[in-house]
Amino acid sequence: MTAPSGARLENTPVKSRPTSTAAALAAAALSLSLTGCVETGRSSTAAAPDTDCPWRADESVTAEARIAWQAVPNGDAVVKDLGLLEACMPNADISWVQASSGGDVVKYYGSDEVDLGLMGSAPATIASSEPVVQDVDLSVVWIHDVIGDAESLVVKDPTITDISGLKGKTVAVPFSSTAHYSLLQALADAGLDATQDVEVINLEPEKMPGAWQGDQIDAAWVWDPVQSQLLEDGGERILSSADTAEAGRPTFDVGTASQEFAADNPEFMTQWTKAQDYAVRMIKDDPAAAAESVAVVLGIDPADAEKQFGGLTFLTAEEQAGPDYLGGQLTEDLFTTAGFLLDQGEIEAVGTQSDYAAHVDPGPARAAADG
Amino acid sequence: MTQTTAPARPQSDRIRSDQEPAPSPRRAGPLGPQRVRRLGLHLASVAALLVVWWLVTRAGLVRPLYLPSPGAVWDAFVRANSDHPIAPGSDRIVRGEQNYYLWEHLVASLQRIAIGVGAAVAVGIPLGLLMGTTWLGTLLEPYLSFLRSLPPLAYIGLLIVWFGIGDTSKIWLLFLAAFPPIAMSTISGVRGVREDQVNAVLSLGASRRQTLTAVVLPATLPEILTGIRVATGFAWTTVVAAEIANGIPGIGGLAYLAGEQLQSALVIACIVVIGLAAILLDLGLKSLEKVLVPWRGKA
Repeated sequence: MTAPSGARLENTPVKSRPTSTAAALAAAALSLSLTGCVETGRSSTAAAPDTDCPWRADESVTAEARIAWQAVPNGDAVVKDLGLLEACMPNADISWVQASSGGDVVKYYGSDEVDLGLMGSAPATIASSEPVVQDVDLSVVWIHDVIGDAESLVVKDPTITDISGLKGKTVAVPFSSTAHYSLLQALADAGLDATQDVEVINLEPEKMPGAWQGDQIDAAWVWDPVQSQLLEDGGERILSSADTAEAGRPTFDVGTASQEFAADNPEFMTQWTKAQDYAVRMIKDDPAAAAESVAVVLGIDPADAEKQFGGLTFLTAEEQAGPDYLGGQLTEDLFTTAGFLLDQGEIEAVGTQSDYAAHVDPGPARAAADG
Repeated sequence: MTQTTAPARPQSDRIRSDQEPAPSPRRAGPLGPQRVRRLGLHLASVAALLVVWWLVTRAGLVRPLYLPSPGAVWDAFVRANSDHPIAPGSDRIVRGEQNYYLWEHLVASLQRIAIGVGAAVAVGIPLGLLMGTTWLGTLLEPYLSFLRSLPPLAYIGLLIVWFGIGDTSKIWLLFLAAFPPIAMSTISGVRGVREDQVNAVLSLGASRRQTLTAVVLPATLPEILTGIRVATGFAWTTVVAAEIANGIPGIGGLAYLAGEQLQSALVIACIVVIGLAAILLDLGLKSLEKVLVPWRGKA
């Protein structure tokens, strides 16, 4: 049965049907016109100089690799900017995923979103310990840098000249980071209890200058560019990660790879490590050129990037593969870090030394050093 | 303009008076004196703000890290929209910021919003109509309220595990953020339809479907559109936060990365662009409202 249309039209808003269709059409048109304009993952820098592979490219590698990167001024940024992996493995499918912290990278591993990734030694230890180790199967295959003056304790009060002077003060640090680890180690070494004698608060680096200006923090253990900013604001550096490293507790930025991926794609790992080694040598031999690449990736000034290299120690494949690092000592360092993380409640149990040895793989570094 | 041309329109008096009962001076055309005055007021306040901002930074009252000068923000904006050398004198030319121009970052975020809100519209309106008219409302309303009260950022981690770190998880997040306001406003619109109007068409022999399309939908449309506006605003705040993780290209991701590197001028440029884009989008939706539901407030 149909309504007598004439009568209906008299009393109701006649335009209803066409307009609601028009609404749907407008919405559809809007979403259509906006889709497909900007593609995500424009992988290599558009204006980068065309890079040729510095050695013979391996065309046999057809792996699909998803790499998590972070804004850290080291060789990884150089590799990304120069497009070394893309040039040396023309048939591989490489995508770069930006992460804002090592914790994020571990999370991405857990949801099987990445195959390789950069993180600090503290997150790498967390990933190798209970309970995270249940979900994540990564191993440390590279040391991007040993952290030195790049992370340091900057205090505001010029009368405080050593860490024991911080008693009763507020110290800011990003929790779960390598800086957090270094700070707590330094406090413990000075006989201070981090839970009672000083107030250690969790603060993202970019929020520190504001808190510093407002006198809400007395000191911070932090990296660049915030570290430079605080020093410029009249802060004094009283300790750095170089000191804690000397005291036997070094911190690193490490390259990790999924164990399954590394086992399935040994050629990829060799090429990847070669590219990292190339970047390390470039930082050592031609820091200005390397700094330019880092500046492009981080969006900073090349001069600042070059300055930041100074706070880090870079190791070639040969040095890394040796017993001081991947070839032995790093396992020890992860084990020590785990003991500390257990105290902090970041992990549930410390594994045995051999558990940590299973998460360190010097193979690719050795292959790159030999080849 | 409308005032002078309207009487000349070849339309019957009845229809014309339907649309504009009494063209008051307040509703005058785009160049009416009221409009001009209001626009002048806005421009003056923006200019005053810029002058105060400029004076404060010029006098050195605030350090550039905390508040860069308007000029520095403009420079950052221009830089982010052009190919430029990485440093003065360098022959390495880079594109915009993070390899995308600023407008591309903006479009990338808008794309995510359009898809997320579009899906929310496509699902929210039919579901809202169903929930407002059938027993489904009683069944599903608690779930809708539950979803609505969750801060979207609380479950982004879960969405990443389910849908990956690409655009899919971000679009799902936007959908989940935008869909409850649209469904809720549709429901409340449906429930607010005057019963005598429905009964009137029913007594004239309208079918259920005809009642829906001729009475319920037009009467609900104003509320639906308000819901879409609310949802779009909500989607804006959500997308910027969602882009903290792997959000390049994306204007929220760019603002986050710039903040991490203490590039305050670029952060402010991003914020201004986000704010202006949000206002323009809302104005667009508002004018869409005027075109689509001219009967609003006159039923």
